[in-house]
Amino acid sequence: MANLVVLQQKQPSFSLLPASLSDFNGARLHTQIQLKRKVWKPKGALHVSASSTKKILIMGGTRFIGVFLSRLLVKEGHQVTLFTRGKTPITKQLPGEADKDYADFSSKILHLKGDRKDFEFVKSSLSAEGFDVVYDINGREAVEVEPILDALPNLEQYIYCSSAGVYLKTDLPPHFETDAVDPKSRHKGKLETESLLESKGVNWTSVRPVYIYGPLNYNPVEEWFFHRLKAGRPIPVPNSGIQITQLGHVKDLATAFVQVLGNEKASKQVFNISGDKYVTFDGLAKACAKAAGFPEPEIIHYNPKEFDFGKKKAFPFRDQHFFASVEKAKSVLGWKPEFDLVEGLADSYNLDFGRGTFRKEADFSTDDLILGKSLVLT
Amino acid sequence: MATLASSSSVLLSSPPSKFSQPSLSSIPRLSLPSFSHSTALSSSLSISPSFLTYPTSSKRFALSALSVKASAAEKKKVLIVNTNSGGHAVIGFYFAKELLGSGHEVTILTVGEEGSDKMKKPPFNRFSEIVSAGGRTVWGNPADVGKAVGGATFDVVLDNNGKDLDAVRPVIDWAKSSGVKQFLFISSAGIYKATDEPPHVEGDAVKADAGHVGVEKYIAEVFGVWAVFRPQYMIGSGNNKDCEEWFFDRIVRDRPVPIPGSGMQLTNISHVKDLSSMLTLAVEKPEAASRNIFNCVSDRAVTLDGIAKLCAQAAGRPVNIVHYDPKAVGIDAKKAFPFRNMHFYAEPRAAKDILGWRGKTNLPEDLKERFDEYVRIGRDKKPIQFEIDDKILESLKVPVAV
Repeated sequence: MANLVVLQQKQPSFSLLPASLSDFNGARLHTQIQLKRKVWKPKGALHVSASSTKKILIMGGTRFIGVFLSRLLVKEGHQVTLFTRGKTPITKQLPGEADKDYADFSSKILHLKGDRKDFEFVKSSLSAEGFDVVYDINGREAVEVEPILDALPNLEQYIYCSSAGVYLKTDLPPHFETDAVDPKSRHKGKLETESLLESKGVNWTSVRPVYIYGPLNYNPVEEWFFHRLKAGRPIPVPNSGIQITQLGHVKDLATAFVQVLGNEKASKQVFNISGDKYVTFDGLAKACAKAAGFPEPEIIHYNPKEFDFGKKKAFPFRDQHFFASVEKAKSVLGWKPEFDLVEGLADSYNLDFGRGTFRKEADFSTDDLILGKSLVLT
Repeated sequence: MATLASSSSVLLSSPPSKFSQPSLSSIPRLSLPSFSHSTALSSSLSISPSFLTYPTSSKRFALSALSVKASAAEKKKVLIVNTNSGGHAVIGFYFAKELLGSGHEVTILTVGEEGSDKMKKPPFNRFSEIVSAGGRTVWGNPADVGKAVGGATFDVVLDNNGKDLDAVRPVIDWAKSSGVKQFLFISSAGIYKATDEPPHVEGDAVKADAGHVGVEKYIAEVFGVWAVFRPQYMIGSGNNKDCEEWFFDRIVRDRPVPIPGSGMQLTNISHVKDLSSMLTLAVEKPEAASRNIFNCVSDRAVTLDGIAKLCAQAAGRPVNIVHYDPKAVGIDAKKAFPFRNMHFYAEPRAAKDILGWRGKTNLPEDLKERFDEYVRIGRDKKPIQFEIDDKILESLKVPVAV
C-alpha cells in the first residue's frame, strides 16, 4: 500500500549540459535550419485568466508532455503536484535548460507518490490534499477517473489528454471535433473517459493530439527517421508515400494545455491540437533530413502485404491519411502552433537525438527484410 | 510560417445597430492581438450581452442574423464579368442569384455574344432565372466593359473571367475609373506551388509565372478595397464542365473507373453554393474582406478513390476502381482524368477566420442530388465512347463488360 508522501523534490544536478540555447555542437550544422534557433515563448499563455494561482495535480508528468507542461504551470505561479509511481525521477534537467531555471523548477514542483490504479489510495490521498484542477495526462481507462472525481467534489476543471485516434476513419478529412468517433478503436478507453466526464457534470476539457513529437519523445516518431538517416540507410515507406499525417510539437501541445486552464471557452469542449500543416510520409522523411542537416534521403516504397513482419512495426505511422483540423483551438482559444515542421524537428534533433540521446535502440530488421526483397526483385 | 498576414488587424465589420446606420466603410479598423476575437466583436457591436457568450454555435447564429440585416440596409450594385465556358462559369450564376436573393442589384456581363452556341449550354441556358429574379444579363467584350453595360456604374465588380493580366486589366482599369468601390477576382488555387505539407493555405508560395498571379498583384496596386478568391473544383446544377459526371458515366454503365496513381491523392470538391456564399459575404463585409486572399473551397478534402466511392454510393451501384500509371500506359493523365494527378488540397482558413464563413458542402448528399439530375436528363442512357479508358484497360488487361 503506497503511502501518502508529498515531497519537495531536490534533484542533484545531472551532467552539465550546455545551458545556452544558442549553443550547439556538431560539425555538420551548416544548413539554414541548424542555424535558426527557436526559442519557445508561448504567446497565448500569458493572458490566461489572471485569476489566483491554482493548486494543480498532474496525473503523470515525468515522461514527455507533462515535463514541459509542469514547467509552464510552475512558471505561471501555480502550485503543481505530480502523481506518479516514482519509477522515473521526478525532475530531470532538460537539454538546453538553464541551471537556474531547472533549480527553480525543481525547488517548486511537488510529488505525490502512488499508483493511480490503486483507486482507494487515489481517492484518499487526493481528498486529503484537495486540488483545484487536475491534468490527466496519462489516463487510459474511464475507471481510473472515477476515484479522482469522487475525491475532489469541488474540482474546478478536469483537463484530459485524449487522442485524435478516437475518430472514426473518414473519406472526408480532416477530422473536426464534431466528427464521428469510433467506439471500437484502439483508443476507446479515451472515448469512454470523455463520455464519463461529460456524464458526471464536471467542468472538463479534452485535448486530442495527433502524433506528438519533440525532445524526449518516447514514441519513436522522429527518432525512427533519425536512426536511419544517421546510419546512412534508405527510408522504407509503405505504399505510395503520399499518405498524409500530422505532427504536433510537444511544446505547442503544452501551451495549449495551459491556455485551456480556467478558460470558460474551454468548458466542456474538445480541441484537436497538432501542427498547422499536414505532411506526406515522403515529405516527413525529407523534413527530418533537412532538420537534422542530412542530405536528402533515399526513399524506398514497398507493399507491406508482401511481407510478414511478425509483431514488429515496419513504419511508425498508420498506413492511411490521418489528420485533424486545429482551427477550433485557434479560433476559440487563440492558440497557435509556434513550430512549423522542419523547425520543430530541428528542435527535437538539436536537443535530443543530435546529442546522442534516444529512447529506443535502432532496429533495422524490418528494413532489411524490405531491402533484401527489393534487391532480389531488381 | 505566415498564413494570414492581416489576420491580427482585421475586425469583423459591424452591421448597423437599431438606431444608427453607419456605412460599413466608415468603421475604423482596430488593431487587435489575434486571440481576442470575442472582445473585438463585443466592442464593435455594443449590443446585448447574449452575443458575448459561447459556444460557437450561438456566435455563428449571431453573425448570420446580423449579416442579413446588413445586406438589407446596404444594397449594392454588383457587376459580374463572367466567362462563357469552363468550370468557373457556374460561379457567376449562383453568385448572381444569391445576391439577388439578398436584395442587391445584379448585372451579369457574359463574354461574347448572346446568340453564340456556347449560350445553349448550362448555366447560360438558365439565365432567365437571373432575369426573373430581377437581374440584368448583357453580353459583350471585357476589353470594353463600359460599352457592354451601357455606361452603368457599380459599387462592386467581380471578374470571373480572366486568367491573365491581358484579359483582366481592362476590367480593372475601367472599374477604377468609373468609381467602383470593391473589386473581386476569381483566381485559382492551381497557382499554389506543389508542397509536401498540405494544405495550401492563403499566404503560401504561388507559381510566379502563373497568369492569375499577375492579375492579383495588379488589383492590389490599383484598388483600395479588393479581395481575391482561389477556387478548386465545384459541383452543382448548371455546371458548364463535367466533374462528377465523369464518374457517373462509368458507374451507371458498369464500366471500371480508371484512376491514375494510388488513388490516395487528395482534392477538394465544393458545392458551388459554398463559393457563392463566400463571395456574398465579401460583398456584405467589404472592409473585413479587404486586401485578403481567400481559398474559395469547401472545408473537406476527398481522395480520388473517395470521390469514385461516393459517386457510386450516390448512384446506388458498385464501383470497380482500377489504378494505373499514366506513363507506363503512355497516356496524358490530364486528358484521361478530370482531376490533377497529385495532392491538390486547399483549405478555406481565411474565409472562416476573417469572414465567419461556414462551409455547407456535404458531398454524400450533394452527389445524390447530382445523380438524380444526371438520370433525369437521360444522361445515363446516352451513348458514350470511352476510347482513352479502353486504351488504359487494354494495357492493364482488365476485362470490360459489354
